[in-house]
Amino acid sequence: MTGTVFKAAFVATLPVLAGYSAMGCAFGILLDANAGLGAGWSFLMSLTILSGSLQFAAVEILNAGFPFYKVALLTFFINIRYAMYGFALIERFRGKGWKKLYMIFALTDETYALQVENKAPDPKDSTDYCFAVALLNQCYWIFGCLLGSVAGKWMDFNKKGIDFAMTALFLVILTDQCREKQNRLPSLIGGAATLLCRIVFGPDRMLIPAMLLMLTGFLLLRRRLDIEPEEVR
Amino acid sequence: MSFSYLFGAVMVMAAVTLLLRAFPFLLFGGRKPPEIVLYFGRVVSPGAIAMLVVYCFNAVTPGAYPFAIPELLASALVVGLHLKLRNPLLSIVTGTVFYMILVQFVFA
Repeated sequence: MTGTVFKAAFVATLPVLAGYSAMGCAFGILLDANAGLGAGWSFLMSLTILSGSLQFAAVEILNAGFPFYKVALLTFFINIRYAMYGFALIERFRGKGWKKLYMIFALTDETYALQVENKAPDPKDSTDYCFAVALLNQCYWIFGCLLGSVAGKWMDFNKKGIDFAMTALFLVILTDQCREKQNRLPSLIGGAATLLCRIVFGPDRMLIPAMLLMLTGFLLLRRRLDIEPEEVR
Repeated sequence: MSFSYLFGAVMVMAAVTLLLRAFPFLLFGGRKPPEIVLYFGRVVSPGAIAMLVVYCFNAVTPGAYPFAIPELLASALVVGLHLKLRNPLLSIVTGTVFYMILVQFVFA
């Protein structure tokens, strides 16, 4: 990898540096405040999971001690969007050895967006550029999470209500998704199914019925919901 | 929670996330998957996020003080800010700080 390619990747990822340090920091503080887990866990999670939305939810998951099958199910639903990202990148990632394997592992929302945009100085450098973007972004994320864990131990303020950060994160993702028309009805069905199951089954047993109800709704309403997106993202 | 539970749970999350990321490469090796798979991919993601938003309000008690008012106000602020300025970090941080002020001082 040449210096020019790395520099281009660094410049492109600067906004992610700001975003990931701050979000990672919030995660580290939350993990310490609500689950009592320190820098070691923060590091392990940012290294192996590398997913903001899941790691925020994980604070709650680890705290509640959900059985593993439930952990797997929640992970599946929180991160299913990643399964779609690969389709847009298959061409770019074709046959690229260990770099390809790392890029598949390190695919996050922000990394995906930058790789699709692909500002490599020369098209033949695309692989190196995308690899550098993925690697830099993970470094920022690990840095942010660790910073939060260390800061969380230090800062002595009343942390009541800080868990709203997770709600806010999901609200932001939902708001962005609902900018696109074809996502609105599916969102409504997912939200309504969950609310209904919360009322019927109570807060502790609602998740699995809600997932099943949502999927059934999607299956039954396919004719109505199956609109090709205006453009492939 | 025991160390082995925590470690196991983190590994489950890491493994399922990796499988999801690798899904298009593993299963279809670059070929276009069946329509139904693509359809579910398109609708499940927004549905699941809405599900998680509702799930986040699990501990809220609309029937008792403070009647979900802090959650509603802070959520409206997050969505309003994000619709206007499209800056995820700003929306999340402002909303969270506002919520913390509400539950710690206003509705304490």
